[in-house]
Amino acid sequence: MRMVKAAPIAACLILAACGGNGALTVLPPDSGEDSSVAILESGGRAGETLVTDANSQTSLTRRGPVTRPIDPSKLSTRQKALIDALPPPPVRLMLYFKEGTTIITPASQPTLDWLKGEIADRPGVEAQVTGYTDTLGSSEDNDLLSQARANEILEMLVGQGVKREFMTAVGRGERSLRVQTADGVRNAANRRVEVVLR
Amino acid sequence: MRNAIMTIFGALLLAQPAWAEIGRIKHSAGTGAVGRGKARLPLTPGLQLEPGDVMVTGKDGEIGATFIDDTRFAVGTGSRVLVSDFAFDRATQVGRFMAHVMRGSLAVVPGQIARSARDAMKIRTPTSLLGVRGRRFIVEVR
Repeated sequence: MRMVKAAPIAACLILAACGGNGALTVLPPDSGEDSSVAILESGGRAGETLVTDANSQTSLTRRGPVTRPIDPSKLSTRQKALIDALPPPPVRLMLYFKEGTTIITPASQPTLDWLKGEIADRPGVEAQVTGYTDTLGSSEDNDLLSQARANEILEMLVGQGVKREFMTAVGRGERSLRVQTADGVRNAANRRVEVVLR
Repeated sequence: MRNAIMTIFGALLLAQPAWAEIGRIKHSAGTGAVGRGKARLPLTPGLQLEPGDVMVTGKDGEIGATFIDDTRFAVGTGSRVLVSDFAFDRATQVGRFMAHVMRGSLAVVPGQIARSARDAMKIRTPTSLLGVRGRRFIVEVR
């Protein structure tokens, strides 16, 4: 009878000696979002403990989570280094084109200049380039035009030193209009290329 | 015959995610590697990650990686982090993500997958299972 009682404790001691315990540190959101991390299981037992407090630390052990507040200015050197090691957030931006051409509008020039600078700051950058058109003209012509727009921007990025194998250029023609219009309508907001830098 | 073709085609479709790119190494410092099966791939910016990859760092190592759903990882020193499951549909922005922090530390900024459904992204440690619901956080395993 005694043996039965003692067995789980002994097992815990052995497991503790094996390591694997840890901590969860929840940081303030970087984008104003407000949600949480849930601990769904600890020590093999299912449960649901929500950690909703930013600037908190929760123990991750077989005995179950315990949360305490932490001072965000007193993160360990290792934790600060880890946060600094996060890659920059992906960016999405839009470039607009003159009607029926692969020439960007003067208003989009500053965006393009910014994009060039941003690429220089991102090692291992990859780019997803997607071209679109308005609904003027046939959808076949627009597929070609949107692809040509995407290719134009891709070539520009190659000129900025982004490796070709790190990029994709796709033309989506008049699908996924930014501003819904009837067919055959000129619309400056729909003549665009979206660039995602990651 | 048609069934046989469909079966082969189906198998190809199922197998496809195993080769698909899920993210990339953005930067690294010190010693480390990506373990893929029996291979140990050197860390270079732009290295494509695949499901099943293990990011490993030495005492002075560090890895930054960005996934195709915009999730960002920083792997700290002396770590072993396995991406055991990853699937993401760019069109619908829905997917699933499972990573194991076997030892060391991992900072996470969740992306689209965590937002797509409750606990679509999970992190396992030797003692616990975490459901990621949006916040930036650090997991440390001793």
